[in-house]
Amino acid sequence: MTHNSDGSDETAGEVQAERASLPMLRADLLAGLFFIVLGAAILYGSWTMPRLEVRRIHPLTVPGLVPGLLSIALIVCGTILALRSWRAPAPGGWGELGRALVSEAARRAFAVIVLVLIYTLGLVGLVPFWAATAAFVFAFIVVFEIWLATVKRPWLASLLWAAGLAVTASAAVTLVFERAFLVRLP
Amino acid sequence: MLDGLGLLFGGIAHFMTPISLFNIAWATLLGIVIGALPGLTATMGVALLVTLTYKMAPDQAILCLMCLYSGAIYGGSRTAILLAIPGTPASAATTLDGHPLALQGKAGTAMGLATTSSAIGTVIGVIALALVAPLLAEAALRFGSYEFFWLALFGVIISGQLTAIDDPLKGYIAGILGLLVAMVGMETLHAHQRFTFGIPALGGGVDLIPAMVGAFGLAEILGVMKRTAEARIVSSANDRVLPRIGELLRYWRTTVRSGLIGTFVGIVPGVGEDVGAWASYAAAKRSSKEAALFGKGSKEGLIAAETGNAAVVPGAMIPTLTLALPGSAAAAVLIAAMFIHGIRPGPLLMTENPEFLYQIVAILLLSTVAFTIFGLFLTKPLIKVLSVPRERLMAVVYVLCVVGSFAITQRMFDIYVMLFFGVVGFILREMKYPMAPLVLGIILGDLLDLNLRRGLLLTNGDPSPFFTRPISLAICSLIVITILMSIPAVSKRVRALFDRGNGSARA
Repeated sequence: MTHNSDGSDETAGEVQAERASLPMLRADLLAGLFFIVLGAAILYGSWTMPRLEVRRIHPLTVPGLVPGLLSIALIVCGTILALRSWRAPAPGGWGELGRALVSEAARRAFAVIVLVLIYTLGLVGLVPFWAATAAFVFAFIVVFEIWLATVKRPWLASLLWAAGLAVTASAAVTLVFERAFLVRLP
Repeated sequence: MLDGLGLLFGGIAHFMTPISLFNIAWATLLGIVIGALPGLTATMGVALLVTLTYKMAPDQAILCLMCLYSGAIYGGSRTAILLAIPGTPASAATTLDGHPLALQGKAGTAMGLATTSSAIGTVIGVIALALVAPLLAEAALRFGSYEFFWLALFGVIISGQLTAIDDPLKGYIAGILGLLVAMVGMETLHAHQRFTFGIPALGGGVDLIPAMVGAFGLAEILGVMKRTAEARIVSSANDRVLPRIGELLRYWRTTVRSGLIGTFVGIVPGVGEDVGAWASYAAAKRSSKEAALFGKGSKEGLIAAETGNAAVVPGAMIPTLTLALPGSAAAAVLIAAMFIHGIRPGPLLMTENPEFLYQIVAILLLSTVAFTIFGLFLTKPLIKVLSVPRERLMAVVYVLCVVGSFAITQRMFDIYVMLFFGVVGFILREMKYPMAPLVLGIILGDLLDLNLRRGLLLTNGDPSPFFTRPISLAICSLIVITILMSIPAVSKRVRALFDRGNGSARA
């Protein structure tokens, strides 16, 4: 029996290593640990949640019941995930994970997040919506067509496109939503 | 039966007004365009359109959303065939044979076949919807808290299992995270506020629409912009688009089988069009006489994939309408939209509002007609759409995400929710966590929580009805088997047991 389970675990480990890439195994380990911590925090929150004894509710219907059960499930899944990726051999996995985090793709995604955060948290609400939108669309296109371009296009053309699209988009969105569909804008 | 037929004709007649036909036309066309553009998915389109249809009459709003949904699932095939990248995840299986056909100079044939297969697939699903939904609704009237608790749990688990075939554990985690998100805010049994951390806006919980716009909008934008290489159209369509009748009849077995598989996958909660397409593709390959051609431009493979994914749309509406259990991610948005418009899906729908089911059937049939016409006759302009550079498109799409999450309740808070789910969703996606179980968790969390505790309240703390009532027991066993089979060691041993059984039987 012991022998059997060992054997199947080994093959399971091999299958894991085959289907998950090396950096992914390390990312899974971190994610697993994160889920354990998150689950524990939620479990604590559910345990300390008011049991509404004053209202004489049935002790099995306390508000913290389901979140508590779910947090236990999350801890179990997180533990399995963490153990599984910890036991699978991943030589150089950490280095690969680090490289994936500073790769070109990550830089592009990060650029989008920065643009989006400036627009949503900074500009919207501070300046009129149409102005914020025009600025965002212009900046987005300029960043990705000139600075982080994958396909080189002429500079001036990109700038003109960006400006044109910025004006059109902000005008169209404002008019269509506020006038045609009677939706208020931020 | 005759009642149903009468109601169906009533449904079709209901939408024979100029304004409805106009709505069908633009919503389906918009759906095809959204589906064709890589990075814009059906779910995202439906979530964004909820905002635009917010002020419309309920029937027209649902009409637009459904047409967009079914158009988008179809539209994805264009990109799959011409660019070899799926326009929506639903058409991933279409690329396998659609693109090789295009490379052989048969792009027109492939697009034509994709169109007719999608249409036939939808019709098969629609027939199932009209026949099964009333029966299921009637059966569901007998469901109590116990059954609904298990159903909600089953939905999240099966969705986690089937949307992350390689690694069900990640599917389960995504589902649990979704359920936990649903725990935030006022709970419905004792009106106690959970996990609000003193933030008043969290009192009402996290709204589904902003969360979906984030998880399927912003996360998708990040995913698309991250890639350094951009796909280009590699082939043009100059051959005949209209398929020949003989071609369609030749593979009728595959068509019907794929339609039925797609419908069934649609019925399974939270398992969407992509799984429908893959399942029918695999089944077609297994039983085909030309299995060697699959992946090299087999018309049968293309038909299977497209019929399969199209049939999921009506199939998904079966649990959506009768149990309020979303059959796919886009159906989850539809449920939210129905609630906004005062339509309550669930077992009572057939008694409260029986026309509505047949209106949905009528809408699906009409949108099928619309996308068939557009698909067969608007090939050239639709190819033009694919040449829009993503840099220009995605900026505008994000603006729509902001407007879309703000417009319904007009709170800045919802925009922050969208941002949060977008960034977290992107990180989860990068680590191969599926989004569908997460969404299903958010929508089913309340159902699960309320019914578990209400059930316990009714029996004064005795959990036995959860395990002794026949339907409860059946769903519960299904859940246990699903989880056990997802553990590699167990599933291997079970399979070995069957093989041994077969071997000894043969011996």
